[in-house]
Amino acid sequence: MRIGTNTRSFTQYFKQNYDMYLLLIPALVYIFIFNIIPLQGIVLAFKDYNMFIADSPWKSIGASEWVGFKHFINVFARSDFKRALSNTIIISAYKIVFLFPLPIIFAVLLNEVRSIKFQKGLQTVVYLPHFLSWTVIAGIFISLLGSTGVVNAALVNLGFDKVKFLMDNSVFREVLIFTAGWKETGWNSIVYFAAIAGLDQECYEAAYIDGAGRFQRMWYVTLPGLLPTVVVLLIIRVGAFMSAGFSQIFAMYNPTVYESADIIDTFVYRIGLGKMDFSTGTAVGLFNSLIGLALVLFTNRISKKLTGRSIW
Amino acid sequence: MAIKQKFTFFDIINIFFLCLFGVVTILPFMHVIAKAFSGEGPVIAGLVNFLPKQFQVDTVLYVLQRSEFLGAFRISAIVTVIGSALAMFLTVTAAYPLSKPNLIGRKFFLYIFVFIMLFNAGMVPNYLLFNSLDLLNTIWALVLSGTFSVFNMFIVKNYFESLPESVEESARIDGASGIKTLLYVVLPMSKPVLATITLFYGVGYWNNYMSGVLYITKASLKPLQQYLFDLTNEALNIMDSTGNIKNIDSAMNLTGESVRSATIVVSTVPILILYPFLQKYFVKGITIGSVKG
Repeated sequence: MRIGTNTRSFTQYFKQNYDMYLLLIPALVYIFIFNIIPLQGIVLAFKDYNMFIADSPWKSIGASEWVGFKHFINVFARSDFKRALSNTIIISAYKIVFLFPLPIIFAVLLNEVRSIKFQKGLQTVVYLPHFLSWTVIAGIFISLLGSTGVVNAALVNLGFDKVKFLMDNSVFREVLIFTAGWKETGWNSIVYFAAIAGLDQECYEAAYIDGAGRFQRMWYVTLPGLLPTVVVLLIIRVGAFMSAGFSQIFAMYNPTVYESADIIDTFVYRIGLGKMDFSTGTAVGLFNSLIGLALVLFTNRISKKLTGRSIW
Repeated sequence: MAIKQKFTFFDIINIFFLCLFGVVTILPFMHVIAKAFSGEGPVIAGLVNFLPKQFQVDTVLYVLQRSEFLGAFRISAIVTVIGSALAMFLTVTAAYPLSKPNLIGRKFFLYIFVFIMLFNAGMVPNYLLFNSLDLLNTIWALVLSGTFSVFNMFIVKNYFESLPESVEESARIDGASGIKTLLYVVLPMSKPVLATITLFYGVGYWNNYMSGVLYITKASLKPLQQYLFDLTNEALNIMDSTGNIKNIDSAMNLTGESVRSATIVVSTVPILILYPFLQKYFVKGITIGSVKG
């Protein structure tokens, strides 16, 4: 009678634990409505959407006509899509190459300062931009970098020509990289700072006794100690490759710099919602999400292999 | 034994570069603050650098009296409070059962949460759903978009898992239900992580402008960040590719440089007031989050 005992113990289990399932209901209802139901909307990518075919825009999705991969084929042939794809890759790659190492360097160097007061003071300053929204930061940098801004005034004083930082395709990406670094470098150093604090002090002492100088201790003790953290964060960062910074770019760009800064997310917004080409917008969004998902799964596998732990 | 270390040339260079980094971080703030408190004349002439010229507070007072600004500020405050409360409720109620290793079906639920964290339907389906639910141009569009963060839920769940089991067990033996145990035993022990995550959500709501851009077109419902977005966008788009002003009409309507700076400064004040707490708890949150990856 094993089945009988199992059912009895299950009823008993449920009697004791039913409130755990009650607790899960609100979050499950929320994600069902706002995360799971929208997934059905993905079929739009394979249909010619007619918003008014049924009595609500959502019901119209089901009633619209199937067209297979038409929207994908059309959009992949468009030069503005190819531009958005390559901009996404370029901006993301720049951000990783230039901005990923900065917090590591900052944490290592700040750790070399003996004064705790100096450390704490500087941290208070450099963490601040993280708490500001991109609209605020865009506003600040537009006023700094505009044609009558301080930076241009300084350039003119030093005998250079004015630079149209926010309107010139040859420098706008640099502006994006710089402002992203300005906002997050300090903040991203926290994890490394914590990792350094967690390193075994005895390693430093042993190295010191063995005659290792300061740079040798940095190179042979601090950096190897940081390596596991660096690997995990790099893997997470690469997993987010397809997000080149939507809220940043959307707040800072304008039509004159689409050439260098229009990324897939901004493209989806303009085509899908701005021009109401919902099907194309969904198709490009799906394309981006799928590549993103594949990257995350792939990098997580690497993480499991290298460090033995999964990101989630 | 302590490591003896001389103050070397390297220290001078190092401190110099670190200070430079600090200064580069500070100067943009000083610039916008200086503009907010300078007279209109020096601002238009581009003479204000990092200290106010012809110091005055009229612009800031003017911003504080503008009905658009006050309305947007109010919307942001309401959305931040309601949104954070709702988000905390969802986060805690989901995190607690999932922190129980013996919960039947736990793996299945975790799988759902991880999946929605990794895969999103995208902007267009979300927009059409909000449209069909009649959420466009309501405060609820701002409250309900991106309310629940799986990432934050995992931080809370990991924290619950790290609490000593014995305390909870004794409560259960005394006959307390799971929900009572959560309310009277687990939550009081979890104040640091709850404070941290509440602040995560609060700052997230306060700084979010995309939900407004996506779902709100009615001026009276725009949150503060969207209002700021409109101001800066106005400034970006009246210039053509040569950097000259495109048409004089929009230039006349353009909110002045000083007013824009003052609005930026004033809308940042709540963050600045909270900054000491934010720094303390956010740093804690990052560390709690990274303990268990």
